[in-house]
Amino acid sequence: MRRTIPALLLATTLALTACGGAEQASTGGLEKPVIKVGALPIPDAAALYIARSKGYFKEEGLTVEPITIQGGAVALPQIKSGALDISHTNYVSTFLAAGRGEKIKVVGDLYGAAPNTFDLMVAKDSPIKAVADLKGKTILVNTLNNIGTLAVTSTLKSAGVAPGEVKFIEKPFPDMGNALAAGQADAAWLTEPFITATQVQPGLRVLADTMTGPTAGLPIAAWMATGEWVAKNPKTLAAFQRAIGKAQKLAAGDRTVVDAIIPTYSKIDQAAVTKIALGTFPTDLDPARLQRVADLMLEFGYLKQPLDVKTLLVSPTG
Amino acid sequence: MSVRAVRGAAGVAAFLLVAELVVRFWLAEGVVFPPPSLVLVEAALLLADPGFLAGVAATLLNWALGLLAAVAVAVPVGVALGALPAAERATRPLLEFMRPIPSVAIIPLAILLIPADVAMKASVIVYAAVWPVLINTLYGMREVDPLAKDSLRSFGFGPLAVLWRVSLPSAAPFVATGVRIAAGVALILAVSAELLAGGSSGIGVFVIQAGSGNRTDLMLAATLWAGAAGLVANTLLVAAERRLFRWHEARRGVAE
Repeated sequence: MRRTIPALLLATTLALTACGGAEQASTGGLEKPVIKVGALPIPDAAALYIARSKGYFKEEGLTVEPITIQGGAVALPQIKSGALDISHTNYVSTFLAAGRGEKIKVVGDLYGAAPNTFDLMVAKDSPIKAVADLKGKTILVNTLNNIGTLAVTSTLKSAGVAPGEVKFIEKPFPDMGNALAAGQADAAWLTEPFITATQVQPGLRVLADTMTGPTAGLPIAAWMATGEWVAKNPKTLAAFQRAIGKAQKLAAGDRTVVDAIIPTYSKIDQAAVTKIALGTFPTDLDPARLQRVADLMLEFGYLKQPLDVKTLLVSPTG
Repeated sequence: MSVRAVRGAAGVAAFLLVAELVVRFWLAEGVVFPPPSLVLVEAALLLADPGFLAGVAATLLNWALGLLAAVAVAVPVGVALGALPAAERATRPLLEFMRPIPSVAIIPLAILLIPADVAMKASVIVYAAVWPVLINTLYGMREVDPLAKDSLRSFGFGPLAVLWRVSLPSAAPFVATGVRIAAGVALILAVSAELLAGGSSGIGVFVIQAGSGNRTDLMLAATLWAGAAGLVANTLLVAAERRLFRWHEARRGVAE
């Protein structure tokens, strides 16, 4: 009996080694079978975690290590240094960097705006009743000169308020509700889960959806990599794109899949997830749709030169 | 000691009570802030969260690595500069320039230059933790009793023997104080690097996740554990100093 245990162990070890060997054989051809992928712990990145939990990466012989990033702007030096292979980013940060001459590529579309995913909000008892009332007021955004200021500026323009007629202040999303309640600012640009949560406590009111008219359905987030990485790892990229594409289709077609995965990688709990508004999960890299972001950035002076978005896209092949 | 512990506990309890009352009754209307009682419950629940525990382990590992590397660099350099006044005068302006640079400000530079996550985080910790150890070692070397050194020299001991038998033991308590201060600074940097750079796990990474999910209570609970780690480290190092350098405290008349 005593002998059987080491024998069993040996057999198991051999079996495991054999499995390992088989797995390695299937990764043949990928330049980089293990990659680090940066993602924000927010609903946008759902497809990454769906692809992991469904084994889509493994089917491609790819091992993906998700890394929590602090934001698209910090992720840029991280893909340049090689700390990350691919990262979640937002289009405005990416196009700003491309406008500065950074050699970055968009390798997948990730998230698009849907109704009430990015709203301007005010305190419950605020005298501000319409967007036009914001003239001369102070508005909170999570990052200056980024998607928030762009969407708000566009919304203000539609209401006849010029960009110079409001003051933007940077503040993290979790602090905005209290800042409005305490009267530190007049309005705040919020996203989910904060839009849903702050309507309950401290009881903020939605003033306007900033993703309507010229910004309706605006592309928000993407996967990026450096031009160098894309050139060096074409097969790895194709494998990543196939796996993430499958997950993205699943996310686009079935909200319950998204609701189930979000609590596994973010701190938005199950009860909150089912209540929040989710954006769209686009399943292709459509140049015409993404060009709208660059054109809007040009219109409001975020870009000094027109940017042809097509030159940045690396679409999945086949 | 037990009276001290009771008084300390009473102070903490009074603080928590006041904080609880302020959060519940004196905050401006509409301002939402998790009361200490809720944060304490969440902090206790975190002990059963494997993701958080892995994060604590990752942060403490970076912290220990960075602190050890800082000591390994700063003590020999401090001893060398302390023993060689000419070298100390030559490097002083550079050291005095680099020392006040806020360590957090070099994190973005480290993110850009160092691709390996642990190496990036450890190196910013080293940068911050080197200074207290180095400066204290330098002062320790300066405080060495010249009479003791002269006595050994007059008995024919060489400079290395004097360093080994007089200067190093005499400077050791100063080095230990430097290490204790550095431990606190290193923990700050370990968490700050995670807050700025993210990562696969860590206390700071957990705080980013909690913030993105609108969980201020979890952010505070994680922060509480970071503070607890610092408190434990400081207590252990103070105890170690007392044990190792009892003679030093007696000589200096430090009574506690």
